[in-house]
Amino acid sequence: MAPATSVLEARNVYKVFVARGGKARTALRNVELTIRRGEFVCLVGPSGCGKSTVLNMFAGLVTPSDGTILHDGRTITDVNTHVGYVTQDDNLLPWRTALGNVELALECKSVGRAERRERAFDYLARVGLKGNEELYPHELSGGMRKRVSIVRTLVDDSVDVILMDEPFGPLDAQTRLILQDELLRLWQGTGRTIVFVTHDIVEAIALSDRIAIFTSVPGSIKQVRDVTLPRPRDVFHIHETPGFSTIYDAIWNDLREEILKGRDDAGA
Amino acid sequence: MPAREQPMQVNAGWAHEQSLLVREERHATVTRRYETLRIFSLRAVVMGGILGLWWTASGTLIDRLFVSDPISVVTSFVQMSLDGTLWWHLESTLLEMTLGYILGVTVGVALAIIVTLIPWGGQIVRPLMLGVFAIPKVALAPLIIVWFGIHLLPKVILAASLVLFIVYFSTLAGFAAVSRDLIASIRVMGASRSALFIKLILPSAAPYIFAAMRITLPGALIGAIIGEFVSSNRGVGFLIAYASSRYNTAQVFAGILSLLIFVLILNTLVSRVEKYIARWRPDQVQRNRN
Repeated sequence: MAPATSVLEARNVYKVFVARGGKARTALRNVELTIRRGEFVCLVGPSGCGKSTVLNMFAGLVTPSDGTILHDGRTITDVNTHVGYVTQDDNLLPWRTALGNVELALECKSVGRAERRERAFDYLARVGLKGNEELYPHELSGGMRKRVSIVRTLVDDSVDVILMDEPFGPLDAQTRLILQDELLRLWQGTGRTIVFVTHDIVEAIALSDRIAIFTSVPGSIKQVRDVTLPRPRDVFHIHETPGFSTIYDAIWNDLREEILKGRDDAGA
Repeated sequence: MPAREQPMQVNAGWAHEQSLLVREERHATVTRRYETLRIFSLRAVVMGGILGLWWTASGTLIDRLFVSDPISVVTSFVQMSLDGTLWWHLESTLLEMTLGYILGVTVGVALAIIVTLIPWGGQIVRPLMLGVFAIPKVALAPLIIVWFGIHLLPKVILAASLVLFIVYFSTLAGFAAVSRDLIASIRVMGASRSALFIKLILPSAAPYIFAAMRITLPGALIGAIIGEFVSSNRGVGFLIAYASSRYNTAQVFAGILSLLIFVLILNTLVSRVEKYIARWRPDQVQRNRN
């Protein structure tokens, strides 16, 4: 069996932030992480552990203080336009319709008008937004805005890595499940790589092939665990899938130690 | 039997609900019309009250020479419109004001863009801009006349100077208010610097720019009028100064009335453009889709 090739790599990555008072603090310590082509990886960890910072480094929005970030073997030194980036807020342009927002990424990549329109219509239809193309973001529900925001990155087929920073965080529980299900359907079979930051263990298990668990701050990779549950998965009944509780307990054990450690540090 | 009663009940419920909807819709329409009517009539009452007070006070409480009276003002206004005096003066003032306004807005926005392109540019020139902004431009009017002559140019520059700084600062504030996350998202999409500016930064700042444009509209007029006060032989400012020197108070007020009407028209124009640009905003979309 040929070894899976790596798409994204963090090698020996450190990040030091200087606070307002001028005092430097280590946010990431020696992060080593390899993302393989075509896999769905979730990053979980205690809040403030730097998992979003790692994601921002893959997007080229944050540079490491030491170490290297590689995409397809090339060091990322500037904004990485070869990835799609879905933020926690939906970040749609309020003066553009759903259609206009989906077309945005294609405009930036200079895709022709007719093709742009056709692809945007197609993708909006895939997430059940047919007929809502001409609505403005404020006329859409939170879940619909999130769908537009996800589709906006997926529609650009020059991008084979999608980074997602707690995209379903602000949504209500039911909408979250529905969107997790839709995301899996959109992703399955495309061969695209997804790196997904979340603090919800169940969500991580339902979605991913592997889960990277971060230590508390200064963050590093504590453990990477495989999720071997068969696909396609039923996110609505994921906790009834055989093997679910084993992986859940393992991750929760890893995390609990870190959360307690973080709490002790804060208390000291 | 119960099996037959079921649909009957559903139907009755449906009809009841429909009548409720119709009743509430009608009620909402009537309430809205009533409110509009009330606001318009109250406006008329306030205006009428002020004019009435003016009419009564003039010649009784205050000397007619100082305040004239509404009827004389309107008479003077109509007379000057008919014999063409008003248009002759208005034309000149409007030209100065409009040119000054366009110049001020253009230069203000352009300066803000240039300063934003230079790293720390905004901070570097901030004390300078604030300093020049603080100078009462009106006090410079005689000097500006000396520099730029007595014709169109000094008045245009005075008008522009009362527009430029507010537009500049407001545009900069608009640029600064663009969401960092949005900028990051769009940069990752591969937007060039110019695409980022045209697709994100300028539209984000548009409400700030339009607010400044509406606030500075009367400022442009003030600039033109001050210029005419200092030195001119034409324009509404000249008309007012001339009438005033001859104690023709009615004519002074008629001149002011013509300016007032003009500013109202211009304001409506700017609002129209603003509404077109902001047609995506929640309140506008509601109105357009209803």
